[in-house]
Amino acid sequence: MTMRRSIGGLALAGLAALAAGGTVQAADKTLTIGLLGPLSGGAAAYGVELLRGAEMKIDEINKAGGLKVGPDTYQIKLVSYDHKAQAADTATATNKLVFQDKVKYIIGNAVGATCNAAQTITEPNKVMFTFVCWGTSNLAPEKPYSFRSMLSQWELAEPFYRWVKENHPKIKKVAVISPNDTSGKDTNTAVVKALTALGFEVTADEYYERGTKDFYPVLTKMLAAKPDMLDVAAAPPGEAGLILKQAMELGFKGAKGWTAGINPFTIIGVAGREAAEGVWSPATINVKGDHVSPAVRKFGEAYEKRYGEVPGAIAVSNYAALDVFTQAMQKAGSIDTDKVLAVLGKEHFDTVWGSLAIGGKDTYGIDRQFLYPFVISEVRGGKVVDVAQVIPAALKKK
Amino acid sequence: MPIEVLVQALLNGFGLAVVYILVALGLTLIFSILEIINFAHGEFYMLGGFVTYYAFAVGGLNYFATLLLAVLAVGLAGAVCERLVFRHLRGKTLNAFIVSLGLLWVLQASAQLSFGVLDKSVPSAVSGIVRMGPLIVSRERVLVMATAAALIAGLYAFLRFARTGQAMRAAAQDGDAAALQGVNIELVSALGFAIGCALAGAAGALLAPVFAVSPTMGALPVVKAFIIIIVGGMGSLPGAVLGGLLLGAVEGVGTLFMSSAAVSILGFLMVIAILLVRPRGLFGAA
Repeated sequence: MTMRRSIGGLALAGLAALAAGGTVQAADKTLTIGLLGPLSGGAAAYGVELLRGAEMKIDEINKAGGLKVGPDTYQIKLVSYDHKAQAADTATATNKLVFQDKVKYIIGNAVGATCNAAQTITEPNKVMFTFVCWGTSNLAPEKPYSFRSMLSQWELAEPFYRWVKENHPKIKKVAVISPNDTSGKDTNTAVVKALTALGFEVTADEYYERGTKDFYPVLTKMLAAKPDMLDVAAAPPGEAGLILKQAMELGFKGAKGWTAGINPFTIIGVAGREAAEGVWSPATINVKGDHVSPAVRKFGEAYEKRYGEVPGAIAVSNYAALDVFTQAMQKAGSIDTDKVLAVLGKEHFDTVWGSLAIGGKDTYGIDRQFLYPFVISEVRGGKVVDVAQVIPAALKKK
Repeated sequence: MPIEVLVQALLNGFGLAVVYILVALGLTLIFSILEIINFAHGEFYMLGGFVTYYAFAVGGLNYFATLLLAVLAVGLAGAVCERLVFRHLRGKTLNAFIVSLGLLWVLQASAQLSFGVLDKSVPSAVSGIVRMGPLIVSRERVLVMATAAALIAGLYAFLRFARTGQAMRAAAQDGDAAALQGVNIELVSALGFAIGCALAGAAGALLAPVFAVSPTMGALPVVKAFIIIIVGGMGSLPGAVLGGLLLGAVEGVGTLFMSSAAVSILGFLMVIAILLVRPRGLFGAA
């Protein structure tokens, strides 16, 4: 009797399991993707663009019926947290994403120091992590799950200043200013290295605390050396705009650069048209410019229609990052991060940037840097005009 | 270091210090009458900034009319806060301290929800620069300095000569004695709180076009204001003015010789030195 009951029970349990299995296969699964970023404060423009870029791609995938990976179809759900550009807040937010929300992919983060904080959690837990942070140490052989989805100072500074030297030979003395943190230090280091190698005189290699509003004191010191060009290197839009505005008030009339200038439209709003006039940005993308592909133009139009603003390089980068990772999942036939990782190193991906390669081994010791052609833009009469297109040296090798 | 760079640095330091003195005066006025340390004071500065953004930048109202509107609106917000929250906590310094911290977060989060988190740019009320030999200052900052100095002088005259101002000083010196002389302590307290907040609102309105406005913009000026009133002496108006000018000079000149990170701790070093040598501050009552 006992045996019969047991067999009957097992049979029922087996039927139930089969039924349940059938149901799971038929229904869509959910893939939760995490996003970190400064969504408030002086660097909020970065976080907002990350979020919007991700939303655009995710909505596109979900509306098309979901992401087909192997036999499964996933609806993608986005969970985002504001870390206010602070490392401590980032650690808390990353812990939430990894252990509470159980994400295996964090697509999007900005501000160098916060990346290091997040990586202390993502790497040991094999969580795939992409960012637009500019810290040199963010990419390394001991951080195999980390990718930079936007060109950084190491890809941009040298070709940018080579262009300056060739096209504006009167510029000899350059003053550089960045926030006093990892991304700021790394950016100034790359810019100063490029300037020195190209024969420029660096009159100031200066730093300020994030959140600073009054730049008169530091500018007084910097402008006393009478530089021909002022580079607000890694300053975020809000602070870069204030620096340029206050430099103009203090009588500066020289050339202006913004090596990390991801969206020149934002600097015009803060600095005003007069102070922003002539700013060169090598990190940007002008979605309305002549150099962009039809894919970027289409993305720009859809973004502007949805959010009422023109997207910058961060929005495009994060849109492309989600594209690359979802393509890699499909090619791997799995959402397992190790299987996806195996695909990422070998392939070129067709994205909004065009054919995108992943390289950077010469600089970082590992191929984890997204590589694509970039545009140097200039602010003219309140508009952003493309002045040159440059191919990063690492991309030429690919 | 050329002398003109040194003088320019001092000018830069004093230029903003005058505005931070306004914030500090409001803080010290509230403390002297209600014995409340209002940590949410920076949020009234922020409200002044947003009134300016919406009235001047968005609504196109005249700048000086906007300034008046900011003073009145933030003063009214202060009076409401005093009536609803702080009136019940007069003299209970610790309780009021904790409540003001809570108010800080409530106001800041409300601003984030209402106004968004991104910095908002306010166009300059006046453009151009003023040259005095090798020294340069923007017309905008001259306007800010002159208006702030006028407000400081106006507050001093009000407290010294106006009957209500004298009642406030009496309440600050000894509330019970003032009440026995017929001073309406509740009215004076409400008015003191409202004027203190209005001063912060004026400072926010003055600096909105110079910087940008954001829900977190109140954090920096309130820290500066605390440094100023600790150096100058809690409750002392001349002390706040002197403390502000001292902080402006130290920070302005300090930047010429050290990094901005090092300069940001100079004010706190000043506070530690003053507290060790003269715990009540330069002009504080014993």
